[in-house]
Amino acid sequence: MADRIFAGLLLLVTLAYGFIAFTIIKAPFQYDPLGPESWPQILSVVAVLCILGILWKPDTEHLHVAGRTWFRLGAMVVLLFAYAELYEPLGFIVSTILFGAIVARMLGAAWLRAGLFGLCAGVLGWVLCVEILDLNLPDAELLAKPYSNTEGTN
Amino acid sequence: MGDVLSGLATGFGVALMPFNLMLVLLGCFAGTLIGALPGLGPINGVAILLPIAYGLGFPPESALILLAGIYYGAEYGGRISSILLNVPGDSGAVMTTLDGHPMALNGEAGRALSLSAVASFVGGTIAVVLMSLFGPLLAQFAVTFSPANYVALMVFAFASLASLVGKSTVKTLLGALIGLMLATIGIDSNTGVARYTFGLPDILAGIDFLIVVVGLFGMAELLHLVEQQVTGKLKTLPVDKSFVRWADLAKTKWTILRCSLIGFFIGVLPGTGASVASAVAYGTEKRMAGAEGQRTFGTGDVRGLAAPEAANNAAAGGAMVPMLTLGIPGSGTTAILLGALLMFNIQPGPLMFAQRPEIAWGLIASMYIGNVALLVINLPLVGLFARMLTIPQHYLTPLIAILAFVGIYSIVGNPFDLFMITWLGIFGWFLRKLDFSLAPVILGFVLGGLFENNLRRALSISGGDWYILIDNWKSLLLYGLALLVVVLPIWMGRRARNMAEGDA
Repeated sequence: MADRIFAGLLLLVTLAYGFIAFTIIKAPFQYDPLGPESWPQILSVVAVLCILGILWKPDTEHLHVAGRTWFRLGAMVVLLFAYAELYEPLGFIVSTILFGAIVARMLGAAWLRAGLFGLCAGVLGWVLCVEILDLNLPDAELLAKPYSNTEGTN
Repeated sequence: MGDVLSGLATGFGVALMPFNLMLVLLGCFAGTLIGALPGLGPINGVAILLPIAYGLGFPPESALILLAGIYYGAEYGGRISSILLNVPGDSGAVMTTLDGHPMALNGEAGRALSLSAVASFVGGTIAVVLMSLFGPLLAQFAVTFSPANYVALMVFAFASLASLVGKSTVKTLLGALIGLMLATIGIDSNTGVARYTFGLPDILAGIDFLIVVVGLFGMAELLHLVEQQVTGKLKTLPVDKSFVRWADLAKTKWTILRCSLIGFFIGVLPGTGASVASAVAYGTEKRMAGAEGQRTFGTGDVRGLAAPEAANNAAAGGAMVPMLTLGIPGSGTTAILLGALLMFNIQPGPLMFAQRPEIAWGLIASMYIGNVALLVINLPLVGLFARMLTIPQHYLTPLIAILAFVGIYSIVGNPFDLFMITWLGIFGWFLRKLDFSLAPVILGFVLGGLFENNLRRALSISGGDWYILIDNWKSLLLYGLALLVVVLPIWMGRRARNMAEGDA
């Protein structure tokens, strides 16, 4: 069943992919026999055949994930998105301290140790990555230096 | 032969520079640590550390030497968690658990670890020697390949992938197609038409290779670890003082030699890496050991431990051959290394030996050094690596996420990428849960552009005549091999089943 649901969703995506390949993508002018649309067209046809094969003969019935595990996974994903969202506004150090502590706590460490782990990860991570290895990481836009130039993109 | 020697001389010149030598050692050490962590295999280790290695701004040969050291070390370290914990770090180490863990249960953990280190060393070294002999020859032959030949080569690569990797052929093929489809996102380089970008400026240049790799491997692995967390505590067996004996080596020398060769040649096949090689080697040795072997294999037989270890390290070397000479990676991890080369604007392939000898040969030479270094690091320090197994998962898991975020953010500093890796991680986790293997996806993604461009170039040459794809003996040979690699396992499976029925 799990297989069929996933294959069904993939089928929808692939059909949309194929639809775009067959109708929308077009080069204004070209000299080559194969344009930008041909390759996606081939891929979509083969992929649809594969998906139909899976729908015909699925082999995974259940995902075997318990309810509590789903909850834990969901919480992890939410935390990851929150970490991504706050990465620039809070800066690397603060967001990493929060993320590290909360995840470690969620996965079973005691509060104190989790907090210590977060603190180490944030501060040592900053020292190692920025001060020693010279990588580009966000410093706190909101908290510390509102006027500094943090657009380190190049 | 003269070419090989002068090439090796160039290579050692590069690899023995103090900075690069340090990177080899560092990579091997870090790789072994990562490989020893339960559940984190070579592919995840390389995936998570790749963006960081890229962000450090090393010259390409140095960055590659570092990554290859990590890859190599992780193949080495994988056996530690297999033997002591009965938890393989990746699919290549599964076979090691069969005889390695029983040995540790019998109180011979030290002996198992040291024997497997020696087997790995021999397997790895034989593979590098074969690689330096055959690599340049293959490259010379591959220089004559036309675009149509490359199309045939890709078909062969995907055929061997579909037939030898994963549980279900259709799922492996679909995995590769997903990778190919992901690779079509972005501006088409031939015509400048945007495909599947939906107006998002962040993906106009295509989805970055690093994002796909870190998402599908690093983040999916992270979710997998979170899922496994509930299933209870793992118990590590202690490392004792026992050590490999001469009698063990004498007993296993032919096993190690045979399995190194098997491993190397299976590793060379595009798309098939260490997991297939170690399984085939173990099966072969068990059959060759006869009736006595049927009884002792699986209960702590030294041959059953040496066979998969020699094979999977030889395969790790073998998988580098098609990557360096043809530009077609031999396994998921080498696909990542190939992507790393592309990021440095180096097109791997037959011309690399001629145009960038310092990279091709430097990498090969670093593998010689890495092998020796790993043996030296592993024999005395195995106790330290074993302690890595006791790192609590609740610290390891957030650490992976933090490393992945650091790596991805430091490339271009775009927070959009952080969301991308999380989404891809969720997608990858579902794929894994449904028994898709992820290596085909990354192989498809890396080869997508090459496949499409060669097909279009071939048809431009012929003026749109599809006949060009099959009008050359090299292409026909490759299609024949592709057919063989698909049909042979099915035929052998059927024959084995018939024979089993005949016995009953």
